[in-house]
Amino acid sequence: MSAEPLWSENLRKTYATKGVPPVEALAGVSMNVHPGERVALLGRNGAGKTTFLRIASTLLRPTSGSIRVFGHDVSEHPERARPYIAVVPQEGKPFFHLPPREMIYTYLRARGLSRETSQSRTEEAIERMGLTDFADRLCITLSGGQRQRTMVATVIATQAPLLFLDEPTIGMDPFARREVWASLRDLTAKGSTILLTTHYLDEAEALSHRLYIVERGKVIVSGTSDDLKRSVGGTLKVSLPEGAAHRESFRSFGETVADGASLTIIVHPERLGELMALAIQRQLTATVGPVTLEEAFLRVVGRKIDED
Amino acid sequence: MRTDPPADNIRPTRPFGGTLAFLWTEMLVQAHESLAMATSMVTQTVLILFVYILNPGLIGVALIGAVLFSAFTLGQRVLNEAAYIRIDHKANDLYLAGPMSPEGYFLGMAAGILVVYVAPIALLGGLAVVVGHLSLSTSLELLGLSGLVWLFAASIGYIFSTFFRDNRAIWAYASLFFNVFGVLPPVFYPLGFFPEPLRPVALLMPPSAAAALLQSRIGEATLSMGQTELALFGLITETALVFLLAIFWARRTVRGP
Repeated sequence: MSAEPLWSENLRKTYATKGVPPVEALAGVSMNVHPGERVALLGRNGAGKTTFLRIASTLLRPTSGSIRVFGHDVSEHPERARPYIAVVPQEGKPFFHLPPREMIYTYLRARGLSRETSQSRTEEAIERMGLTDFADRLCITLSGGQRQRTMVATVIATQAPLLFLDEPTIGMDPFARREVWASLRDLTAKGSTILLTTHYLDEAEALSHRLYIVERGKVIVSGTSDDLKRSVGGTLKVSLPEGAAHRESFRSFGETVADGASLTIIVHPERLGELMALAIQRQLTATVGPVTLEEAFLRVVGRKIDED
Repeated sequence: MRTDPPADNIRPTRPFGGTLAFLWTEMLVQAHESLAMATSMVTQTVLILFVYILNPGLIGVALIGAVLFSAFTLGQRVLNEAAYIRIDHKANDLYLAGPMSPEGYFLGMAAGILVVYVAPIALLGGLAVVVGHLSLSTSLELLGLSGLVWLFAASIGYIFSTFFRDNRAIWAYASLFFNVFGVLPPVFYPLGFFPEPLRPVALLMPPSAAAALLQSRIGEATLSMGQTELALFGLITETALVFLLAIFWARRTVRGP
């Protein structure tokens, strides 16, 4: 099979509810996800991420446009796409009266896996996701984060060719999140492909090969996290605690943001020396650090909101 | 990066695929609610007691009615469970965005609930056989008709469940249908007590149709040839149609509009 795991072109979705104006959730989304990739879909609440994921995972009909999973038309033949996919739904919960071990095992059996495969994958997922200590406790007795780990373990145990994860690490502690990240990296190394949504931008940066930012139903930026950072004028951030008064002198280096007395400048690494020389000349102390994905995201989306 | 999906992880969707696995899942889930098994018999027990106090000679009718009512109200459990796990747990999204068949999800859930709740129904059935002096053929007829009533109710329950968006609404409305159609028509009492002009309606409702057929077998109701056919073929046809509709609806509602 050589078709892309996921491909969409000009995908649109308008929610029409009687008595209220229609809401255009997707306004022409085109994207593709290559085999073995981990791709993050980012955006504000209500930007259209979950709508896209639900359409791609055959749970929602698009209004127009094309979308394919491994070459199968999701709009026309969702049943042909389903064997290739698995989904962690947003705010999904495991059955409260099953322990994680039973939850994962019975889910794999329901997907048609053999007893032996289901058993071995269940044990593998329990160990990989750090569920061993509570694998036989009813999910109702587990914390929210442990339940979410159970949900993710349930889905990654499928080793499905294409996984859709809608905010998979929500409510998890930093250790658990890193266990999930490691599991997802393992999974793509074995040949699966992952599309995930998240509001944790450190997660998107640590995990994804590429990312798409969606705003008001449209993709406004796509590329690697470095591409995104470069798109805001540089990959380094220089903070001058007393620099606000000198803003005009630093404008030529890149985007400047004044906050009280302090000034922050986004700069390309090749111009850092020049900028530092000017700061020293003005007797200003400076702190240099990388631009984070979150800062780049806020600038890109903020710029789009301003334009609109 | 590899370019091909691992073929051993692709399972084609088969008609009714996943039914047994989801039946097992649902059994494990339901079995934790042991108190619910006991409370599922409260209405029947109270009605049997009323009938016994008012007319002990009709205890056989009441016991048969209790079995049919129990099978019928399992549809309400299907409705509650299907709506709850869809709205609260997003189980539809988890299970149906994958190779499991939608009809397997519906039927597995309904059958899992049946298996867990069958013990108290069997107890009532045993009492009906002993106290009502049912012959083997009548006992088998009771079994078969109860099965049809269950299938009808489970199918209706699943279809109804897809219309709810909020669990609170389920609490308010779900019991209405099953209690009204399971108690008001002649299920716990003989068909002859029901107003004559309305009897064709009772014979078209699955629980009372099954009850009338069994009452006729034990000599507590007199059905004309046309009425027997109406009750029997009505029950079979309605059950088949509603079951097929539930399968169609299960497949259709995997995707939101």
